[in-house]
Amino acid sequence: MGAAIGAGDGKKSLNVELNIVPFIDLMSCLTAFLLVTAVWVNIAQINIQPKGKTRDTSNVEVDQEHPTLSVLVQADKIWVGVSRINEFQEIAKKGDDQDWEKFYTTLKDHKASTFFADRTDIEVAAESTTQAPVNYKDIIHAMDIAVKVGFVDVGLSDPNGLAARPSL
Amino acid sequence: MPVHSAGPRLYKSVPFKHLVKKAGSASGGAKGSNIALNLTPFVDMMTILVTFLLMVFSSSGQLLQAQKGLELPIAESRETLQQAPVIIVTKSEITYQGQLVATTESVLRDDSPTFKIDALYERLDAAAKKIKEDVGMGRYDKKLQKACEDAKQQIRPQPGFICPDGLAILQADETTDVRLINKIVNTAKAAGFDNLLFAVKNK
Repeated sequence: MGAAIGAGDGKKSLNVELNIVPFIDLMSCLTAFLLVTAVWVNIAQINIQPKGKTRDTSNVEVDQEHPTLSVLVQADKIWVGVSRINEFQEIAKKGDDQDWEKFYTTLKDHKASTFFADRTDIEVAAESTTQAPVNYKDIIHAMDIAVKVGFVDVGLSDPNGLAARPSL
Repeated sequence: MPVHSAGPRLYKSVPFKHLVKKAGSASGGAKGSNIALNLTPFVDMMTILVTFLLMVFSSSGQLLQAQKGLELPIAESRETLQQAPVIIVTKSEITYQGQLVATTESVLRDDSPTFKIDALYERLDAAAKKIKEDVGMGRYDKKLQKACEDAKQQIRPQPGFICPDGLAILQADETTDVRLINKIVNTAKAAGFDNLLFAVKNK
């Protein structure tokens, strides 16, 4: 690899040989290091605040002044409820998976309502039994949708500790 | 095997006849036998590779250890993780900072009224006290110390700069039963960890 300098006046061109060996050495070392230390999976986080504390519902502090949006994930359905008003919406499972699209639109509607337009808090719980287990990924999906809609302060609660709980 | 005297080897022992023809033989005299390798594509490729690797370089992945039998759930959240004590839940066991705490089966079987995992509680409680002391002594860097001051005034922290007091990471397999997660969350809450980061994989 060379570089021509001058040579405009008819004399012999002055080709300078650049020594690219150290450059290649450096690149090889850097490539090897980066390949070894590369992280191919991007890890992110969902920040939650534990709520509800225990199964003992007498310990649960319920905000009586403001309505709270509560989500209860069950194996075959999702409940979305508003405390004080005690209004519940049931979102049944669609095929093998939960109906996440409907859940998204439901939360979006609540976020647009006057109750929750300026609120960012939501409480999520999951009720799992040996017969009807709920997986961790379902609750993560529910929380991820809540964050996406604008409820960024997600509280994870015990099912009995929800402010609004459907009577089953 | 007969011993030959040292001499030119490349084009005699290796049958690169086409190269010899093109570049001239070593013993031919007239033409030089040096072949100039074109390094430009090689350097180009290396440059592109290094640029790509530098772009995908991420330090957040190093906070978590890869575990056998652990597949993180997928989420759209892009908030970065930060350094904190890590609770790992695989398909078969629960570990805290790499040390086995309990098996998932035993925790699911246990139906004690305390609704928490005692072995995990002991470790978390000790860790929470240590972190609280470190925050009180100002042993964390300035941004994290400021986050702790802000937290007292209910100011929302910047992603990646949450006050370490009461902060822990939960790295759980996506198929984990939620009863187990509830127990771990309750245990963490009881020990003073009231701010949990659920590790997820980006879509």
